[in-house]
Amino acid sequence: MFAMRKIRWGKYIFLMLVAGFVLVPMFATVLGGFKSLGELRTNPFGLPDVWEFEYYAQVFADGSIWLLMKNSLIIAFFSVLLTLIIGTMTAFTFSHIKFAGYKYIYNYFLIGMMFPAAAAILPLFLKIRDLGLLDSLSGVVIPQVAFGLGFSILLFRSFFEQLPSELFDAARVDGCSYIKFYWHVILPLSTPILATVGVFVLVASWNNYLLPLLVLNTEQQYPWTLGIMQYRGEYGIEWNRILAYVTVTITPAIVFFLFAQKYIVEGLTGGAVKG
Amino acid sequence: MASVEFKHIEKIYPGNVHTVKDFNLKINDGEFIVFLGPSGCGKSTTLRMLAGLEDISGGEILINNKVVNDLEPIERDIAMVFQSYALYPHMSVYQNIAFALKLAGLSKSEIEEKVRPVADMLQLTPLLDRKPRALSGGQRQRVAMGRAMVRTPEVFLFDEPLSNLDAKLRNSMRTEIKTLHKKIKKTTIYVTHDQVEAMTLADRIVILRDGKVEQVGTPREIYHSPANKFVAGFIGSPAMNFIPVELAKDEGWHVDIAGQKLNLLGDVDDNQTDTKATLGIRPCDIHITPDLLTNPLVIKGTVENLELLGSTIQLTSRLGDSQITVEAPSSHMVNEDEVTNFYIDESRLHLFSDQTGLSMYKPNAVLE
Repeated sequence: MFAMRKIRWGKYIFLMLVAGFVLVPMFATVLGGFKSLGELRTNPFGLPDVWEFEYYAQVFADGSIWLLMKNSLIIAFFSVLLTLIIGTMTAFTFSHIKFAGYKYIYNYFLIGMMFPAAAAILPLFLKIRDLGLLDSLSGVVIPQVAFGLGFSILLFRSFFEQLPSELFDAARVDGCSYIKFYWHVILPLSTPILATVGVFVLVASWNNYLLPLLVLNTEQQYPWTLGIMQYRGEYGIEWNRILAYVTVTITPAIVFFLFAQKYIVEGLTGGAVKG
Repeated sequence: MASVEFKHIEKIYPGNVHTVKDFNLKINDGEFIVFLGPSGCGKSTTLRMLAGLEDISGGEILINNKVVNDLEPIERDIAMVFQSYALYPHMSVYQNIAFALKLAGLSKSEIEEKVRPVADMLQLTPLLDRKPRALSGGQRQRVAMGRAMVRTPEVFLFDEPLSNLDAKLRNSMRTEIKTLHKKIKKTTIYVTHDQVEAMTLADRIVILRDGKVEQVGTPREIYHSPANKFVAGFIGSPAMNFIPVELAKDEGWHVDIAGQKLNLLGDVDDNQTDTKATLGIRPCDIHITPDLLTNPLVIKGTVENLELLGSTIQLTSRLGDSQITVEAPSSHMVNEDEVTNFYIDESRLHLFSDQTGLSMYKPNAVLE
């Protein structure tokens, strides 16, 4: 009995430590936006002595944030949409149609997962330039989709393969072609995995800094991550404004994540235990 | 009105796995055919080839005298009920039944007109808005049947539709299927490994083993005149007794069982050169009293084990080297370790060649 209680306490302490690693920087960010630069230096983590709202107000007062957020949203929306459409179709093909060499092609997609985006910067830049996509949002969207496909195909395929094969037989007898089966049966049954992949792609796209930096040159095209640069002065960085700005901009991603959390867990563990 | 014909059908899977070998069968319009056999005998594969879900490696399948080998399932005018029901989990009962009609491009009112009577017939009307997961096993089974019936196909295919149900429900669903078939009179092919389902449902049973047809016949023929030893042993519960015997002829044919002579009154296949054969007798054709038999063969044996099963007793007895099972009304009094007379109905004897396994004996008496 005593040993059991000790184990339970051990678990709580461990979980609190892990949660702390995530939450402390987050709170520091949120609170940092309320502090003056001097206070931020002396008291980075605690509650502010004087609550200053002007930095948050300035973030909104400067109208550019709405444009930045809109750009981020457009990039994220199309990244998610394209990843889901292409990913599900490809994974559906791999899970239902056996053709010569499909294993090699499948592995080719998966190798993409191991390829770090940072290492591809130079060739990627050249390619985007050759395609004439520099300084356009699609120049950000297309590489993002490409880098996200490996992971999403892996998740989609393992999900599709758990769907009973008799379902496809029944649908064929009912008159379904592959496309109709995909549309009427596979997609409606895949909402948990669609939500999982969608959230991952969305958050990754929302927080992506490197790729927009590489591709975009005009400020009208910037997503919010590049907008941070406007707070970097010649002689110093206004950390409190940056923190306020970051707080405002990551909020949508966090809200969305919390909203979709249930599906993410379902999608990742689905099929692990027979439900 | 649809007939179905299999002509020299073969199925070979990659790796040279020969699942169905030279399968031939003509099914008449409105007939209820059951494919029966142990698992892995190729019965489901044959059905799936007819449905268009498996490629045909050789031969031709004809529906209504039209070769359908290269047609999609939807073009063959068939409907199928699957073992796992394969209901679409995200659709309501109504949508499940209506799905095929929706794909066929029927209007909402036309779909409604067709779905309602089917739902009524299967008593699904109160459940139409439910999702499959909120249904019991029997209800899901009925939805699967509704989905098949609503398309009014020419041929119904059932792939072990009752094997996921518990015993009680299985009995009632079996009766329902039988009643439905009588009502709609469509050609039906039903795959099962359960001999009770086969015996009760079928107009004709096709017994398969290792991809080959062993016998085709009415349940009565299959039970009373099995064509070979496999069929004889597969059908009937408890299974038929098999006793190795020496076949001999003096004034008539007779066999020796553990030193006791049994005269055969019927016709033995004379082409037979081998003297070694297997005698087959069903446990219910061996009696403890001669009461109802006109001309019984008598044989002596020791009762080794006795089991009371309610209305019957099942006893095992030793005859020389072999053991036989006897089923008798439980009103009879027998004791273990007792030497007793067994009375055998001669008209119910079977004799199988050890070389070919084929039946080589026709009893004289006409079977009732």
